[in-house]
Parts: sequence; C-alpha cells; structure tokens
Amino acid sequence: MTDKHRGIWSSVTLHVVLSVMAFMVILPFVWMVLASFKTGDTVYSESWLPQGPWQFQNYGDVFNIQNGRGIDFDRYMTNSIFVAAWVTFLQVLTSAMAAFGFSRIEWPGRDKVFLLYLSTMMLPGLVMMIPNYKLMITLGLVDSLPGLIIPAAFSTFGTFLLRQFMLAIPKSLDEAAEIDGASKWQLFWDVILPLARPGLITLTIFTFIGNYQSFFWPLVMLSTRDRYTLPIGLLMFDGQASFSGHLLMAAATMSVLPMIVLFVVLQKYLVKGIQLGAVKG
Amino acid sequence: MKPQLHNIKRIGSGLLWVGPNLLGFAAFTLFPLLFSLYMAFTNWDLTRHNALMAQQLGEQYEGPRIVGLANFVHLFQSPRFGEYLGNTLFLMLAIPFNIAASLTLAILLSKPMFGKASGTAKHVRIILAGFVGVFGLGVLIMLGLRIEATIILFCTVLTLVLALGMAGGSTLYRTLFYLPHFTAGVAVYILWKRLYSLSGPINTTLAEPLHKATVITNSTPAILFAVAGGLFFIGAAAVLLWSLRAFARTWRDGELGTGALVIANTVACLPVVIAVAWWSGSAYGPLRIMPWLLVAGGAVALSVQIVSLRRRFTGRPVQTFDGFGSVLLSALIRLTIMMVLMGLGAFICQLPLHAAGRDGLQPPDWLNQHTWAKPAIMVMGFWAALGSNNMLLYLAGLSNVPPELYEAADIDGASGLQRFWHVTWPQLAPTTFFIFIMSVIGGLQGGFDAARVLTEGGAGTTTLSYFIYTSAFVDLGLGYGSAIAWVLFALVLVVTLFNWKIGNTYVND
Repeated sequence: MTDKHRGIWSSVTLHVVLSVMAFMVILPFVWMVLASFKTGDTVYSESWLPQGPWQFQNYGDVFNIQNGRGIDFDRYMTNSIFVAAWVTFLQVLTSAMAAFGFSRIEWPGRDKVFLLYLSTMMLPGLVMMIPNYKLMITLGLVDSLPGLIIPAAFSTFGTFLLRQFMLAIPKSLDEAAEIDGASKWQLFWDVILPLARPGLITLTIFTFIGNYQSFFWPLVMLSTRDRYTLPIGLLMFDGQASFSGHLLMAAATMSVLPMIVLFVVLQKYLVKGIQLGAVKG
Repeated sequence: MKPQLHNIKRIGSGLLWVGPNLLGFAAFTLFPLLFSLYMAFTNWDLTRHNALMAQQLGEQYEGPRIVGLANFVHLFQSPRFGEYLGNTLFLMLAIPFNIAASLTLAILLSKPMFGKASGTAKHVRIILAGFVGVFGLGVLIMLGLRIEATIILFCTVLTLVLALGMAGGSTLYRTLFYLPHFTAGVAVYILWKRLYSLSGPINTTLAEPLHKATVITNSTPAILFAVAGGLFFIGAAAVLLWSLRAFARTWRDGELGTGALVIANTVACLPVVIAVAWWSGSAYGPLRIMPWLLVAGGAVALSVQIVSLRRRFTGRPVQTFDGFGSVLLSALIRLTIMMVLMGLGAFICQLPLHAAGRDGLQPPDWLNQHTWAKPAIMVMGFWAALGSNNMLLYLAGLSNVPPELYEAADIDGASGLQRFWHVTWPQLAPTTFFIFIMSVIGGLQGGFDAARVLTEGGAGTTTLSYFIYTSAFVDLGLGYGSAIAWVLFALVLVVTLFNWKIGNTYVND
C-alpha cells in the first residue's frame, strides 16, 4: 500500500467486519453453552445468561440415569470413540497400503483398477446401504459395533487422498532406497510413510470425525440401548427430554467440545488436505 | 523367466499392497452396488421375506421374487415421489446463496490485514482491542443504554473475537467460520431445533421488532406497501428481461452454444416459475407441476429471443455447449438477485395483511409450518456452509490468481467492483463451477440428517434420501428402497456426466 494511513484504516474496517461476522457465526454455540448452565424452566428465558446461580451440576446430571433424567452418556461416548478409533486405524492402514500400491509399484492393470476406484467415488452412498444392511443381517452383525466398523473400514476416498500425497514425493527416493538394498516394505515404512505424514494426519482427522458424527448407518443398525453411539443417544435423549433442554444442551456441549479442540489443534493439516483432496485426479 | 510368469509376479506384488483395501472395496462397495440393482427389480420386503421370522412362526420361508419394473412404476405413479423430489430441489435453491457467502468470506480473508503478530506486539494489540471494547461499552452505557446482562455479554464476546482476530489474523477468523461445518452433526442439529422452537431465542429476539413493525405497518396506508412490493417485482422482471437479452446477445456473437443458451434461459426462469407455482395452489401441489412450468418458461424465453434476433440470425460456428460454464454461473447470479427481489416484494406486499390480524405480526412456528420449515432448514444449512470447504477452496483459488492481473487492473484505474468482475470472478470460475457441481450432487443426496433431527420429515422437509430411509429401513421394503436409490443415482449420474462432458471443455477454455 502506498498510502499508509489508508492501509491501516482499511485493515481496521476489515477486522471489524470480520469479527462481527465471526461473532454472528458463533452465536448459536454461545447460546448452547449458556443454556447448559440454566435451570430447566428458564432455558428459554429472554436473558441469555443464567439468572441466579449457574447450574454447574447440569453436567453431572447428564450422566445420572438413576433419577431418570440423564442418559448413559459415557457409554455412548465410549461406543462412538471405540467405533471411530477402529475405523480410523483400519482405514488409514489399508488406504496407505493401497495408495502405495497405486503410486509406487508398477503392475499391469494398476491404472484400470484405480479408475474403477475413482468411478465409484461419486456414487451416492445410499445405493450401497440397503444391500449392505442385508449383508449385515446375513453375517449376524446387525445391532453390533463390528457391524458399524467393518463396512466403513475400507475407503476409496482415503486411497485417493493418500495417493495424491504420495505422488508428490519424488521418485528418486525409491531408487536411492533400492540401491541401498531396502525392501519394498522398508521403503513403505521408513521412507514413504514419514514423508506422507501430513496426508496421514489429514485422513485420520477426517475419518475419525466422520465416524464419530456418523448418523445414518448407526441409526439403521442399532436397536439396543447399550450399543448406541453418541449421535443416536443424543437423538433419543432429544425425544425424551423435551422438558429438560438444559441437560440436552449440556450433553450437546460435551459432544461438540472435543471436536472443537481437535480442530483448533490440527487445523493446519485439515486446510491442506481439503484443498488437495478436491483437486481432480 | 517367461514374460507371462513375470507379469503374474508383478500383478501379485501389486495386489499384495492393494489387496486388503480391494477386498473390502469388492465386498462393501462393488458387490452391494450390483446387488442393489438386482434388489430394485424384486419385491424384497423384510416383513414378508424374513427367514428368521418365518422360522419362528413355523411357516414355509418364501424368498423374494423378481417383479420387473413394478417398483419403478409404483414409484413414478406415487404422488409422494414428485413431492419429495420437489422438496429436495427446493432446499437446493440455497446453493447459490451458500456459494456467494463462501466467496465473500474468502475474499475478505484474503485481503491484506495486520495480524499474526507475535511477542509484545501481539499482547499490545489484545490489550488495545480489549480497551477499545470496554471503552466503547462504557460510552454506550453513559449515553443511556439500558444495561442488560445479555447486551453486556454480546459486547464482551464481540470484543473477545475482535481481540483474538487482531492477534491471530485471518487464521483465527477462518477457524471460527469453519467451526459450524466441522461440528455439524446431531448435536448441532439438536441445538438448532431448540433455537427454532416456538419460545426459543430466535423467536424471543424477533418478538420486539415484530411488535414495532406491526405498529408502524398498521399506521401506514396499505397502498404504499403494494406499490413498494410491486416495484421489487418490476425490478425482478427487469433483471429477467435484461438477462435474457444478455444471453441472446452472447449467443448471437457466437460465444455461446444453443444448448448452453437453453439451459441458461431455463435457470433464469426458475424464480418466476417458483413464484407462479407458489401462488397457484396448496402447499403440496405446486412443486409437482414445477418441472413442466420450467420447461415452458425456458421455451417461451428461447422463442422470444429467436424471434427478436431473427433478422440478424447467421450460422454459428460454435458447438452446442460452448461457453456453458460461464453462462451458467452468470445465470445463477441473476437467479439469486431475482429471488432476493421477489422474496422481498412478496414479503412487503403481504405485510399489511398479516399486521392487521388480531395478534399482529407473530414469529412463526418454524419447524411445524409448511411455509417456514424449508427456509428454516436452509438458513441452518447456510450457517453450516458459509465457512465450509468451499471457503477453503476459494482461498486456495484466490491465492492462485496472478498478481499481475490486479496490477494491470490498477493501472487501468479499475474500481474495486470492476476488479472483482473482470479479474477475480473469471479467474475463480473453474473453482466456482467445481463447487457448484459438488453442491448439486451433495444436495440431491442430502437433507436426511437435518430432517430426521429437526422435523422428522414433517412440514414438507422429506427429501429423497429421507424417502429411501423410510421406505427401506422403517417400512423394510428393501426392493422399493433400492428402486428409489437407483433413481437418485440416475439423477446424480446425469449431473456427473454433464460435469465430465462440459466441465472439462469449460476448464480448458
């Protein structure tokens, strides 16, 4: 900027505009957190702040199933994390191996198989869900956590994303490793995986969050209360707790908070991954 | 070693790596895909074809039969299919608004701003911003602001955001804008359900302004509102005519293929068609006749254009879909403007009618009224979409615009708006096109989560994906559900093929 004063003032205006917009975007979250500290009959009071003492015990009451008001929150949370962690582990492992096979190893028919992968990426997931449901019935996995984990453990998108990252690693490293007498496994484990780390982290976050939030498939599969994941548990809580919005908001806060923390800590990788993943392959 | 054996060995070494993923892919993607096509042609119904249940009842188990096209015939004859498709398309009308918001945010975030300071400078700025906030608040109170806890709270939060933004720069804002998209899930939908509830915070906030608006409206002659509303409609009509003329001119100049012209015309007619459909019937009926109205509107527009250009008509050397991408995007902009104008016009025209009622203007019961449920879900979607991946893609796109172009524009003395229309927008067109296609594909399949949590499919919010859910997993008609899923698949496929065929030629332009 040639005119320094103009630069500062336009910068200040920009900050004001952006902060007002950001403020409006986070308002619903502000209401959620504040409502979780109110009493049951003042949730919808005109004042956003709790009038009277803040009800910190709401957060304890969410877990309290004895008095019939709370839900089995910790169980649902554990189930969600269990499912998301297993899916993430399996998906990242198989996707990384497949991406290695698609990007670092020459084999006849490789590109045809990859094209098949690519062509199914656009398919609506809904088409596959009905036969998969029947498949789960046949395998006896309906209403079980493995029934949530196994179908989600193999991802074409993950393979595509990691392949994008691995293609960016120079080929000369492979040759150097070969001259040093490294096996393919050593090349994979000691050279490629460390260099593809940003990609692995991106896929890990995407997969974990996606499965932690997953709604449709668990809703279809689960019917036993003990096996509910967090979204299903919250949905049922919403149905039964029309009178206790304060506890519902406390539960919602507790399920959103880990994601916010995760995002703030790891957002650098996410931004890269999203921008790279959208590049047409 | 024989070459063939060598080849097999190489395939083997490849499959060793790809194998685990490929097996899962075959079992849970490829096989279900083919099997669901088979299911779509059967009368498979878990309430009837259930080996376990038959065993318990001591009956002979009878498997599902192939019934040919019966599922599809049933589907297309059912009035519900048209209604749900209409709901899905209606919710997709939010797409241009979402994209415009993402683009606006990305442009604001990519402007140079002071920020990202470190060390002492950072702390000084935080303190400075905090001081400005507290001082501003103090002035407001001294000027006679009624001190309410909520207002103080808002000011505090706003100041906090500003202070953090001063210290963190665009990264901080980007993080905050992205949060709704990142956290969107059942918890956030439940939150919005509460926000929208009859006595929730949105309606509480609206009550006071609506009361004032009632008083003002009732003390103003109704004719003024009719005139003002009418002006908005005339404005929308002017935009439509201007758009059709502009399209026709580019077509005549040989920059636009006929196919692209037809589609642009149809898109530009969409708001009029929606308006006609809206006023012509009940809450259900109009959405079904919309496709026909749309075709008719596009045809009328085209014939008017051809008639008015007939004398200057010359053979065009261009291909059918040349210039498709840019004309589609420009049609979408005009469509958005028209929808805003007509929406405001309708709102203003109806204002006196509602205000004269016994209770005056009342905040709506958002999620239980046909008129408001869809807009409510669209607003929530807007909130979740404005800072989403689209914003990040635009940010990446903006950083790739060659700075020479802006310098050239500056030398030519271009204003800010001109810089946008002649440099930024054309440079970002491939990104916009990509985002648009992805949003359309997502929109066709979407709407389930929000509808399930907020309305349970009531008040006209059942989309195609919700329809598949109820048909296949609630009514347990696996065959029928598969048939709907394949119709949805066909719709998505049309858009995808369109993108491949036209998007590629467009990006290479």
